[in-house]
Amino acid sequence: MTEQTVQVETVQNRQTDDAAAMLQVTDLVKHYAGAEHNVFDGISFSVPKGKVLVIVGPSGSGKSTLLRTIAGLEPIQGGTISLDGQVIETGKPGNENSGRAKRPEALRTKFGMVFQSYELFPNKDVLGNITMAPILVQKRKKAEAEREAMQLLERVGLADRAHAKPHELSGGQRQRVAICRALILHPEILLLDEITAALDPEMVHEVLEVVVELADAGQTMLIVTHEMQFARAIADRVILLADGKIVDRSTDPEQFFTDPQTERAKEFLHSFDFKRNRTEQAEEALERFDNE
Amino acid sequence: MFDWSFVSKYAPFFVNGAWMTLFISVFGIALAILTGLVCAGIETAKIPVLKQITSVYIEISRNTPLLVQLYFLYFGLPKIGFVWDAETCAIIGLGFLGGSYMAEAMRAGLQSVPQIQRENAYMLGFSKWQTLTRVVVPQAVGISMPGVVANVIFLIKESSVVSAIALADVMYMAKDLMGMYYNTYESLFMLIVTYLIILLPISILGTWLERRFDYARR
Repeated sequence: MTEQTVQVETVQNRQTDDAAAMLQVTDLVKHYAGAEHNVFDGISFSVPKGKVLVIVGPSGSGKSTLLRTIAGLEPIQGGTISLDGQVIETGKPGNENSGRAKRPEALRTKFGMVFQSYELFPNKDVLGNITMAPILVQKRKKAEAEREAMQLLERVGLADRAHAKPHELSGGQRQRVAICRALILHPEILLLDEITAALDPEMVHEVLEVVVELADAGQTMLIVTHEMQFARAIADRVILLADGKIVDRSTDPEQFFTDPQTERAKEFLHSFDFKRNRTEQAEEALERFDNE
Repeated sequence: MFDWSFVSKYAPFFVNGAWMTLFISVFGIALAILTGLVCAGIETAKIPVLKQITSVYIEISRNTPLLVQLYFLYFGLPKIGFVWDAETCAIIGLGFLGGSYMAEAMRAGLQSVPQIQRENAYMLGFSKWQTLTRVVVPQAVGISMPGVVANVIFLIKESSVVSAIALADVMYMAKDLMGMYYNTYESLFMLIVTYLIILLPISILGTWLERRFDYARR
């Protein structure tokens, strides 16, 4: 038993002793109060500076929870989270109900997070949503914050909607504003939690385009997504999460998506098979439908 | 026949009564809003002991008639040594009744602000105080507003009960005139008109406030 545990840790640590790691997660344990099993039972990975780590996996595998623990929104019961070589979070068993991590404000703003449900502040216009934190938290001058907000809006193609209220925007537009709101604080790492999952298909593209541009600009990101084509295009590293365990990981996303090496990855990616053409997939789907 | 000369002669009575109604209402409602804020805060923050006390208060306040509450304050409390004048009793009574209604409207507003808004505020680095004052309360105000406006109108109407402890509000004037001169139609006519003059502008203002704070959530 002990032997096995040691072995697992070694395998997991293999790719994580990264000198240039911006974010380092080591032996993370997450447990919900009253739950029988741990959500994560000691997982480790790292994100190097300027790289994009994409986390994929079936629903309920713990992808969002992983992002939330790193963000400090959920307490952890074991392991450590380090940013720039500094341990910022150490797990304590039994703190399941202690709520959000007690991180100082300056540390919290090093993480930018965009959620699945594009929740802007409904009582503020677009510009107000973006400039609120730099003015209130970073004590920046209003004019300067607004200037940068306008530059960001320009970048995501929404400069003309600066004074619109959130309810006047489409889902895709709101999500782009949410990205600007996170970016204006210059986060060291951007956490994107299925940011296109609640969007209509035609709006997915406009949001993903922005993210691709950010990756090109060298923004460190940790992305949870169901959009496999997008994941393949943007990832520097991939983690496949299933039942709270990292069942596969790769630093070669192209190979991971087109020629998966492990059974779990093959199984997971089967439904997103890139090698077969679309007609073939459609025929197979129709066949399944006929049989039922 | 409807006697217009009676109306013109005694209309000033209602002007005086209206001032009394407004005086009691303004202070009573202010007290109700303050009480409501404190109670809603306690309930939302789930402060032990205080939360239980608040629940008991809300149940007593909502499930006893204002008239009974006023009698208790005006005729009951002096028996144990607390003698307050009628105005004080009326204001406290209205505040006691309205406090629970305001608390429920405000609590509903506070609780309806989605958790993710607090999480957004956390990620953006807001302090607890900034999260409360800049994110939670502004959104809660919008959601509470229709309930609060309805309560304000309800409390102004309910203030007519204070005539029972000899306060000369508009209701008292009407009862007085009917008792003295038997001009029931004219007195009731002036009573209704006075209430409408007081309440219609408040109702219109309330509708405007509701629109002003409705952020058209999805």
